[in-house]
Amino acid sequence: MTRFVGIVLVSHSAELAAGLRELLSQVGGASLTVEAAGGTDEGGIGTSYDLVRAAIEKADGGAGVLVLPDLGSSVLTARAVLDDIATPGVVIVDAPFVEGALAAAVIAATGADLATAVAAAEEARDVRKL
Amino acid sequence: MSVSSETAVVLPAHLHARPAGQVVQAAARFQAEVEIEYAGKVANARGVLAVMALGATAGTTVTLRASGPDAAEAVDAVAAVLSAAS
Repeated sequence: MTRFVGIVLVSHSAELAAGLRELLSQVGGASLTVEAAGGTDEGGIGTSYDLVRAAIEKADGGAGVLVLPDLGSSVLTARAVLDDIATPGVVIVDAPFVEGALAAAVIAATGADLATAVAAAEEARDVRKL
Repeated sequence: MSVSSETAVVLPAHLHARPAGQVVQAAARFQAEVEIEYAGKVANARGVLAVMALGATAGTTVTLRASGPDAAEAVDAVAAVLSAAS
């Protein structure tokens, strides 16, 4: 059985992360593991170390995990979690939130490895939409 | 030996997010590199954002080109996805 790269979406907003997750499952296919880690522990706007950490652990199916933060404290929180778990198979990616997640998810759903999914997300920085 | 294959497809629907995702899924099953050309723009069929950015609309024609050992099969598979898009 193919193991897929897991994707973790870190956002200030639970709804934003959940909505993007829904979009990825529509475009990338249901076989993919995408975990949303949005909002604070209380459901407010912000980020949660515990939610991000739990999402990464849940997304890790053995093929690696790509962590995509939206901006600001999402980046800081994701970095703090990654510093603590320090696993080479879990990487944070610098890419546009929607486009990067979509590019990574679609290629990951084909069974591509972590490096390929990371490259796809990073390429999203240079792909114009018009 | 490298084999090339080319075909044209008239799109029954806009080449938006969901069909673009299906194009990538189809193209990734083959060794051949598949390109989609539309209105002078060329996208690698494994790049969902580039495929969407073609902005190809219903009723227009895209050209598929592939090179590699399974080029013909790859073009057929991507053409089938595009022809069935809704």
